[in-house]
Amino acid sequence: MKTATMPDRRLKVDSELKRLILRHYLGAFRAKRPLTRRPVAWVTSGAPVEILLALGILPVYPENYGALCGSRKAAVPYCEEAEKAGYSLDLCAYARNSIGSMLSGRGELGGRSLPAPDLLLTTKNICGVVVKWWEVVARHYGCPLFVLDTPFAADGVTPEQKEYVRGQLEDLVDFCLRATRRRRPPREAFERRLSEVLDLSGQATALWQELQVLRRNSPTPASALDMFTNLFPIVTLRGTQACVDYYRKVRDELSERVRRGEGAVPGERFRLVWDNIAIWYNFDLVRYLHRRGAAFVGETYTDAWGLYDFKEARVGDPLDAMAELYSLVLLNVGLEVRKERLFRMVRLQRADGVVFHSCRSCKTYSLGQYELARAVREELGLPTLIIEADMVDSRAFASGPTMTRIDAFLELLSGGL
Amino acid sequence: MKGASVGTSVGAGPPPCRTAGGAARAALERLVRAGADPVSYLRERRAAGANPAVGYVCGYVPEEVILAAGLHPVRLGGRPGPVGPADSRLQSFACSFARACLDGLLTLMGSEVAGVVFAYTCDSLRAAAESWRIHAPRGTFFHFLNLPARLKGRGVEDYTRAALSRFALSLQAVEGGRPVTGEGLEAAVRLTAAVRAGLGRLAAVRSARPDILPGSTFIAVARGATVLDREEVARDLETLAADLEAVVEAGPLPDDRAGLRPRVLVTGGFLETEGPLRLIEEAGLDIAADDLCLGGRGLAFGAGGGGGGVREGARPGTDAERDAESAAERALAHLASLYLGRVPCPTKHPPERRFTFVCDEAARHGVDGVVFLLQKFCDPHAFDYPELRDRLGSAGYPSLLLEVEQGALSRGQALTRLEAFAEGLREAVEGGRAG
Repeated sequence: MKTATMPDRRLKVDSELKRLILRHYLGAFRAKRPLTRRPVAWVTSGAPVEILLALGILPVYPENYGALCGSRKAAVPYCEEAEKAGYSLDLCAYARNSIGSMLSGRGELGGRSLPAPDLLLTTKNICGVVVKWWEVVARHYGCPLFVLDTPFAADGVTPEQKEYVRGQLEDLVDFCLRATRRRRPPREAFERRLSEVLDLSGQATALWQELQVLRRNSPTPASALDMFTNLFPIVTLRGTQACVDYYRKVRDELSERVRRGEGAVPGERFRLVWDNIAIWYNFDLVRYLHRRGAAFVGETYTDAWGLYDFKEARVGDPLDAMAELYSLVLLNVGLEVRKERLFRMVRLQRADGVVFHSCRSCKTYSLGQYELARAVREELGLPTLIIEADMVDSRAFASGPTMTRIDAFLELLSGGL
Repeated sequence: MKGASVGTSVGAGPPPCRTAGGAARAALERLVRAGADPVSYLRERRAAGANPAVGYVCGYVPEEVILAAGLHPVRLGGRPGPVGPADSRLQSFACSFARACLDGLLTLMGSEVAGVVFAYTCDSLRAAAESWRIHAPRGTFFHFLNLPARLKGRGVEDYTRAALSRFALSLQAVEGGRPVTGEGLEAAVRLTAAVRAGLGRLAAVRSARPDILPGSTFIAVARGATVLDREEVARDLETLAADLEAVVEAGPLPDDRAGLRPRVLVTGGFLETEGPLRLIEEAGLDIAADDLCLGGRGLAFGAGGGGGGVREGARPGTDAERDAESAAERALAHLASLYLGRVPCPTKHPPERRFTFVCDEAARHGVDGVVFLLQKFCDPHAFDYPELRDRLGSAGYPSLLLEVEQGALSRGQALTRLEAFAEGLREAVEGGRAG
């Protein structure tokens, strides 16, 4: 897809984000050196990372690494490595990217793949795929694996579900100590540390929610590119002071944009909501919409990170609250709940239409979108667009038909306003 | 190639199987017909005023609970052939079985059953369940059996028991559904164990003499056993097994395997039809064992699955605590431990037992190779494939991977690959004998 050049109105704080990303990955490699050794855990994006941080374990996110490879348009060769080893082309591209990079020993971190894990934590709240993916990693590295099983919370969390997940969280603490051959810290010290981490997670989450509220302004001060790019800290650094400090700066910059009436998209005409993971290798597609005055004022994907509100965890039993919150993540709830959350976002952000990225790789996110799109059209009377693509495997993207659909969608928006 | 006619003429004719005839042939045909056309069978049942049928998706739904609730369990398969209305509900990259299953419900099966039970297994089936929940005819019973993905660990047994308890309670909402009692559940466990035992005897016949009971017919019978009235199934299986065992005894397999077809183990998920198995047989291979949802894996329950009744001490706790539980709860706890202890499907963690099971079965049945039938877009099986392939390879079993979509293989290409695989296995077998 060719696009005319138009400079993005990038946030000034983005340059600091690059430093944060670099520091995070350098820190992970440093953790493998004898003098600066620290246990490294590979975790999923829905993992209760606060427990690991409270125990001094450094979490690393293969999904985030997938996004990094994707945004550099570098994921396909790693996916192909996995396919050569027998992993089907139909499997999650984040998984294929990670497995291919792991098997080949090559990667996008200065030519290296992610540093080897000392322990593994996978959480079924985002999909069943991550359980299978982590099993592959565990066999490859001969590494201890903990599967946090969070049963489907279609309409909420039942008491027995909560008890089951809570028990596993307690076990997770023991597992981490065993895997890292550490002695159990005094209970009070651990709880105090966990409370501090949860407090930092809660602060970051609150700031993240503030950003989403600021985006309700017209013109919106941040579009999808800003939000997708700025996801890194809330996913990867949640529970740290650096994360909180960074989002304060983002909040201040967006507030300043609102004060000046400066939008992320010049000449904002349409306000859209995005559903599903970003198409990391093709931000040009979003820019194409920007150039036609279509700004994204909300994404279900970025919004999902605003759900980790740990207020209750700080006043009550932290594991109890964590069991509930980590069960209620976006991809572990039923379609009705997802619909309510989407409708709420559409109303609050005052959106004119919804773009669904039907992501071939991500079944939990994508399956159900036909029902959601139908509901948006029939119950809210808003137009929808479904884009067939993949988050990192660019082979699944057909530019021609996609652009035709986007143009038709824009015409529909123009006609309807 | 000897025995080439075996397994090639299923079609509308009688299923290939060399019974002595009479009652056994009738039992076979009853089972195969019900499996191939459950809709007609359910209509006949309804017309005869039989108890209501409850459809279930996935072998992790314990049909014992449905039986104990006084209802008739029917396992729902997918509708084979091109995708129908499910196409506008689920994207084309949803697991082919999940789409076919939803299609079956939206077209025919949904209106033939009083309700539908899904179990948590994988992301695609969860989505199919969600879609069905929206589109099910008003008033239809729906239950999502929210099972754990873990088979071991803290709280797994208690959580599973609680999920089964909710399930048992929910069935009272079906017209004709009655409270599940300990006694009722124990009787249901005995009945399903008898069905599994009958199928186990047939599996042994298949292994000993795939020429008289081909693998495709065995699976067709196993499918029928999930549809027909279970008392009838148990009786029919007894008749059929006794008959076939007599045939086996009368003419044992010759020691010299010269000219015989290579033996394979088939592994995969749920097959909507026996078509892929018939194609394997058509290519000159005998299916001696399987690791399929409807077949070998579905039968591989541990101790207690054979109908030994509730085992005291199956769950931890003091005598006083156990006494305090109702008989139904104890029976449900027993059932939970049975299902958690069975050879797992790839959606469950940890996967190790299944890998061991497949390798052990390959050795036990003396197969020459393994055919993987991978449902298109089935993530759990696809993730396990490289590991299982490598383990089998290390144990000396060559394998072939074929993708199944909407219940079928791409015939021309699949047959060519299967024939080449069969040829390779035949040479290896002959080479081994010569050596």
